[in-house]
Amino acid sequence: MTRRKRMLQELDEDIRDHLDRETQDNIERGMTPEEARYAALRKFGNVTRIKEETHEVWSFVWLEQLLRDIRLGLRMLRKSPGFTAVAILTLALGIGANTAIFSFIDAVLLRSIPVKDPRQLVVFNWSAHRKLDLHGHSDYGDCADQAGIGDCSFSIPFFKTVRTQSDSFSGVGAFAGPMDVDLSGNGAASMVRGLYVSGDFFSTLGVDTFIGRPLALSDDSPSAPPVIVLSYAYWVRAFGAAPSAVGRTVRLDSTTATIVGVADPNFTNLTPGKLLDFFMPFSLADTVRGESWRNQDLLSDPANWWVVILGRLKPGVSIGQAQAAATTIFRNEMLHGAPPFFKSEDAPALTLLPAQAGLNGESSHIAPALYVTMMIVAFILLIACANVAGLALARSAARRKEMAVRLALGAGRARIVRQLLTESILLSLVGGALGVLLAVWAVDAISKLLSNSPGAPFLTNVALDWRVLAFTIAITFATGMLFGLAPALRGSRVDLTPPLKESASSLSGTAGHTGRGFRPGDALVVAQVALSVVVLIGAGLLVRTLQNLRSIDPGFDPQNILLFGIDPSLAGYTDQQTQQLYDRLQQRFASLPGVESVSYSEDALLDGGWSAGSVHIEGAPPKQYANTGELPVGLNFFSTMRIPVLAGRDFTSADFAAAAATNAREKAREAAAEKVSPSASTPASPTALDDAYYHSMPVPLIINEAFARTYLTKQNPIGLQMSAAPRGEADAANPGPGYTIIGVVGDTKYAQLRRKTAPIIFLPLVSNEAHFELRAAASPTALVKNIREIVSQAGDNLPLTDVRTQTEQIDQILFQERLMARLSSFFGALALVLACIGLYGLLSYEVARRTRELGIRAALGAQRRDLLRLVLGQGVLLVLVGAAIGIAAALGVTRFISSMLYGLHANDPVTFAAVAILLTLVALAACYIPARRAMKVDPLVALRYE
Amino acid sequence: MSTKEQEERVELLQGTLDLLILRTLQPGPTHGHAIAKAIELRSDDVLQVEEGSLYPALHRLIKRRWITVEAGTSENNRRAKFYRLTPKGRRQLQFETRKWDKLTGAIARILSPREQEGQP
Repeated sequence: MTRRKRMLQELDEDIRDHLDRETQDNIERGMTPEEARYAALRKFGNVTRIKEETHEVWSFVWLEQLLRDIRLGLRMLRKSPGFTAVAILTLALGIGANTAIFSFIDAVLLRSIPVKDPRQLVVFNWSAHRKLDLHGHSDYGDCADQAGIGDCSFSIPFFKTVRTQSDSFSGVGAFAGPMDVDLSGNGAASMVRGLYVSGDFFSTLGVDTFIGRPLALSDDSPSAPPVIVLSYAYWVRAFGAAPSAVGRTVRLDSTTATIVGVADPNFTNLTPGKLLDFFMPFSLADTVRGESWRNQDLLSDPANWWVVILGRLKPGVSIGQAQAAATTIFRNEMLHGAPPFFKSEDAPALTLLPAQAGLNGESSHIAPALYVTMMIVAFILLIACANVAGLALARSAARRKEMAVRLALGAGRARIVRQLLTESILLSLVGGALGVLLAVWAVDAISKLLSNSPGAPFLTNVALDWRVLAFTIAITFATGMLFGLAPALRGSRVDLTPPLKESASSLSGTAGHTGRGFRPGDALVVAQVALSVVVLIGAGLLVRTLQNLRSIDPGFDPQNILLFGIDPSLAGYTDQQTQQLYDRLQQRFASLPGVESVSYSEDALLDGGWSAGSVHIEGAPPKQYANTGELPVGLNFFSTMRIPVLAGRDFTSADFAAAAATNAREKAREAAAEKVSPSASTPASPTALDDAYYHSMPVPLIINEAFARTYLTKQNPIGLQMSAAPRGEADAANPGPGYTIIGVVGDTKYAQLRRKTAPIIFLPLVSNEAHFELRAAASPTALVKNIREIVSQAGDNLPLTDVRTQTEQIDQILFQERLMARLSSFFGALALVLACIGLYGLLSYEVARRTRELGIRAALGAQRRDLLRLVLGQGVLLVLVGAAIGIAAALGVTRFISSMLYGLHANDPVTFAAVAILLTLVALAACYIPARRAMKVDPLVALRYE
Repeated sequence: MSTKEQEERVELLQGTLDLLILRTLQPGPTHGHAIAKAIELRSDDVLQVEEGSLYPALHRLIKRRWITVEAGTSENNRRAKFYRLTPKGRRQLQFETRKWDKLTGAIARILSPREQEGQP
């Protein structure tokens, strides 16, 4: 270091000495001293640069220059805080939004399922031309809704047939659920989610346990002791990751089971979005969580379809070969099995899908929303890049003079380019850092948003995707560099004199006074406007969809209604006890001050859940059934919900007593039949119980207008008899007491707002869980405390579930729509703001550049109005071109979101027009500010400025 | 910075300035101006060194310890910096000269047959 210092100190002296000698030599050659000095200097070259180069020999040049560049870059960025802030924010938003959204897409849609060789794992799907006639058919949302009839639910007997008959698979497993199970024996009782699995589930998937053992085939045997395997996350959450958990016993509903293992930490779920707490063998299906299967045998009844079948392909077997073999088995069972489910003209068929694609579950509902959001944020990123590029262009043009000065003072071209690059990279780095923060925050916020809404209990583990982050940062980097650098390269090559002689605000070399060529800056603004038009139109469509859905009349009055669920079967209530409990609760609730009326129903309206069935209407041809929604309701349901009774009468207490009696006889008969012959398929001989059942009173029911409109156009519905579609041969011979229509009520939406109003039959609710509806005079949320008190006084510590108001419930149903409307409006506004900043930036720069020209025009007699028009005209032209391109693009693009829209066409002219008007107005405002500056140009100042 | 006049002259190849400086210092120590003049004279003005560029080169050689610098008095009794070849620099000069001979020889061999072919 000292050597370096000494050398550099002596350098000045040395150079001076050199120049003196050369001057002396020149004088001796006959030049005047002045000439001699000048010639010597010319021969020597640029003294400053030489000194700099010599310094470089002695320094850690690269590092020092970098530090100097960074310091200078920071100073330059600080000098134009507006530019810097906008550029950094723009970059941060582009990077952050893209990273966050793509992280979601990756977690939800792309991440491969956590099993061994996921490509070898296939999921069974069936399809047919006719609906199945089954005892039970459950679908836990593992597969996407198919276009026609069919899904991925099968019966356990069919699963066993595949397992024994097929030789295409090295393993076949099945699962169903998860079911909500009441788990106790480890602290307070809690509802946990248990997945029913076959004994070979773990071996088929190739999933091992973290500790303990997985479930095995031996656990499938009905005589095997009940065992379960915990998921890793639940083990950590509920057992504090204590290894001693394995071997402990817990109570599942009313069955005691032993924990034998904890699944591998990576094995979180099969179907994206489903959360699992533990795995239990199918053999527990009879004792744990019988649910609404009406005493049918879940394990041996071929007419109970409720499990998903997975197969692992043998090495060398293609999915097509396996599918052909499995289809043969399926057709054989369906056409010739006992009982046959299909005729050959129903074309029952089996499809094998790779498990990754087949088990898309909930994600198939949210996927379109995610992809649309991804598209929107990609547009935002493009706009952001165009914006930063435009800003960089304008700035570098404005800095031409600075560059020229620096070149003239001896700066190397490479140094200048490097300086500009450093500034671009600094911007990208700061923007990227902010973008990371934004992405982390956004991932967290969206996760919370999604998991807080019971409508979409969705996300398991969304992590920030670093690859995406790197990608988006790279894109913005590249943009910054390209547009920071291109003008820098151009600028550093220019002839130095013009920019030095003329001021930066005078005319640029390329475009003359009159003709103004189309420049990159213009193209960037047009692109921004066009992209933001597309985003805005998309947002407009989604917002109007939400408005349309909100303005739907659901057929009942949703204001001031409090909803909550109660399930007495968890505490082992009999139907009769349940009925008494409901009566008691209904009376107590109704006596609360502020409560106008109280009722209950099996599902709350518009909570997404629904049941359906088919009935035979008196007088219709045999075997012609009417499909209808079914909703068991309590007393006063229609008056509480303010659904008008259009004909006939509402339910009375007597109706409930009659329904309860019929229900009790039916249950008694089924229980007896079960005792006589455990297999439900063999018809039992009629007994006294059967007789009592068959001669019960028909159950009174109420239909809605849509039912009457659809099925009973020619008849007076009141008093008409109906019977349930038969479930077996015995039923077919004697259809039981059936139903009598006692009333017709107004149409309501049932499960979803989007669905068309469909036929519904309302039955008296005599068993099962229920959702209570409390109509209050004012906001009902204050009642919650009283209600909890009443329920806990009723004993047995029954939990209240899903306490919410009916309007909250509707908001939940519209969760995705609200989310999309909100997200897209936010990004739409952002796009608009960015485009306007781009426009504003370009025009401001233009006005500054043309100050002299404007001054001359003013001096020559141009009115202020003319100057205003000059600048506004340029801006408006760009906006119009951009808007036209954007609208054309939107016409082509919006059809991709048409499935998300409600009540309007994807090319809705109102939305298009509204966006065009909004954009033009906002853009005019953005143009007006620089235009006003142009108008105020004082010719004297502008001309004297030179 | 570049004028037409200079185009007739040959610009130095990268790195050759170092070699020329070392060679110029072989007979004995001398000062910067003299080195520039010597290169110009001995190449019959074909090699035009931008004189200033001599100094970064000299400092590069000093840093590599191929030459040293010392204060001295010049022929007309002026104080000046004298650059002197070190033993290490002398070895480097031999090495670089051999390398240069090899290079130019090889290039000449490639170029000369073509010249012959080109002649009638």
